[in-house]
Amino acid sequence: MSTVPILETRGLGRRFGALDAVSDVSFSVNQGEILGVIGPNGAGKSTFINLVTGHIKPTSGQVLIDGKDMTGQAPWNIARAGVARTFQIVKPFNGMTVRQNIAVGIMYESHGTNRLSVALEQAEAILEEVGLGGSGDRMPGELSTADIRRLEFAKALATKPRLLLLDEVMAGLRPTEIEPSLELIRKLKARGTTVIVVEHVMKAIVAVSDRVLVLAQGKVLMQGGPREVLADPRVIEVYLGHRYAKRQKGNA
Amino acid sequence: MSTLKALKSVNGFKRTLLEGLLVLVVVAGAIFFKSTLPGGELRAVSTIFMFIALSQAWNIIGGFTGYASFGQVVFFGMGGYFTAAVMLHLHFSFWLALPLSGLFGAVFAVIIGQPLLKLKGHYFAIATLGVAEGMREVVINLPDITGGGAGISVPIAGTFAKTQYLGDGGFYLLFLALALFALAVGTVVSRNKFGYGLRAIHQNEDAAAAVGINTVRSKVMAYSLSAFITGMVGASYVFQQVTIFPERLFDVEITVLMIMMVVIGGSGTVVGPLLGALGLQFISEYLREHFTNMHTFILGGIIILAVILIPQGLVNYIREGRRTKNYSLLANIRRYRL
Repeated sequence: MSTVPILETRGLGRRFGALDAVSDVSFSVNQGEILGVIGPNGAGKSTFINLVTGHIKPTSGQVLIDGKDMTGQAPWNIARAGVARTFQIVKPFNGMTVRQNIAVGIMYESHGTNRLSVALEQAEAILEEVGLGGSGDRMPGELSTADIRRLEFAKALATKPRLLLLDEVMAGLRPTEIEPSLELIRKLKARGTTVIVVEHVMKAIVAVSDRVLVLAQGKVLMQGGPREVLADPRVIEVYLGHRYAKRQKGNA
Repeated sequence: MSTLKALKSVNGFKRTLLEGLLVLVVVAGAIFFKSTLPGGELRAVSTIFMFIALSQAWNIIGGFTGYASFGQVVFFGMGGYFTAAVMLHLHFSFWLALPLSGLFGAVFAVIIGQPLLKLKGHYFAIATLGVAEGMREVVINLPDITGGGAGISVPIAGTFAKTQYLGDGGFYLLFLALALFALAVGTVVSRNKFGYGLRAIHQNEDAAAAVGINTVRSKVMAYSLSAFITGMVGASYVFQQVTIFPERLFDVEITVLMIMMVVIGGSGTVVGPLLGALGLQFISEYLREHFTNMHTFILGGIIILAVILIPQGLVNYIREGRRTKNYSLLANIRRYRL
């Protein structure tokens, strides 16, 4: 295994006017690791993903992929470097069938086939993997919320990523629907894919993450093992308020 | 599984074969009709061919990519003026001027596409409209090259003319060839990686970029390809008309016709713009003959009705109808009501 982290950020920040949406975020992920990212609403989780994938340009700091400086690169260059993502607000290609949605990603992956017919065939395996087997001919508009999230997942997998950033792919899912997604993340890890999971569903984070990064008000609050992080009074405080945290301490 | 695959590939092969046959029959028919049609009819059919090519060209940027170019006529005009200028001043043959005019339009599209394609929706539409209007003024103000507002004439006979005038039959074949070329380009784009990339950009530009599509390059390429075809059509139109004026060659109406044909037929499909061009031209000709005083009024009414009842275009309406087994126009209005 290489010693260079697959993704590293150094002092990454983004200012919107007077607001520091993300500031001074420095961390790294090694290949094969699953990193959970949590934080209350407005903590800058999605902005952070957008900074890494080039959808938003940082105002300070650096993004390094495999040790190479990719700061401010266009999203397609990040994608071709092997980084895929999902969007919190799902973005399916609504005018295409589910299968065609996947085929686009397959064809535009740097080592992928250029032929549509081949890509459409290869799409089947990916659909099968996320649990959309048999839905290939349907339109995204006809899918349930859970299936739309699966499609978002599948679209990211189509580009054969080495690093996958999942922005709340489990939001709005029932517990029974979450389990297969967790299973899939574990399977990706076994294959050597690095995964960054941004999630509100704590149970999911605890279940899959090797390490958890907590963001609050755009800054890194702490990082560590999932259980250690969830028990930390600072984390409890940003989520539930300082009075609750104090009471917890008093009870303990 | 393998038998299914084999079946599918046979179907794909059959489909290609059928399409090939259909094209052959149409081309043979068109060439056969050429000898039976009188001059006036030949010119009318040539115009239909011209608009088939133009609507296919517009469909690449406006339909597949979703960037409604309201100034598309700028490439028509520039291609046309390029041909007129090089044939008159530099004594080029038309057959050399024709592809160069397309290239001229394509290069211009690459230059203006970089900044313009950063704009979205209405802003892009208005900016392209501005480019077309501006270019007309430039042409008027360069009389040494373009003849200015007084117009310019292409040499069509005598020693100065490298290419003799083609005549009604010749232009009929020329526009037929351009229409077939545009249809072929549209068909290839609709089925290949590039075309799927354009559709992805249309349907969600952020998501397209996230799967590795260089959206800037793809959009500029689409714009430029569209301009290439439009420029060649403009060049052919100029040679057919012999004498041309800036007002006619940069006429907004030409853009509007292209857009209407694509939108009514079904944008983002190949058959849609084809049907749109055929339908609109035939209806318009029919109305002109039978309702001399009212024809534009009636045509306008038909267009308004079509846009209200099937805003997604005829071909897309039929496709959706087949999928949902619901052809109700009322349901359709409801689905697309803003």
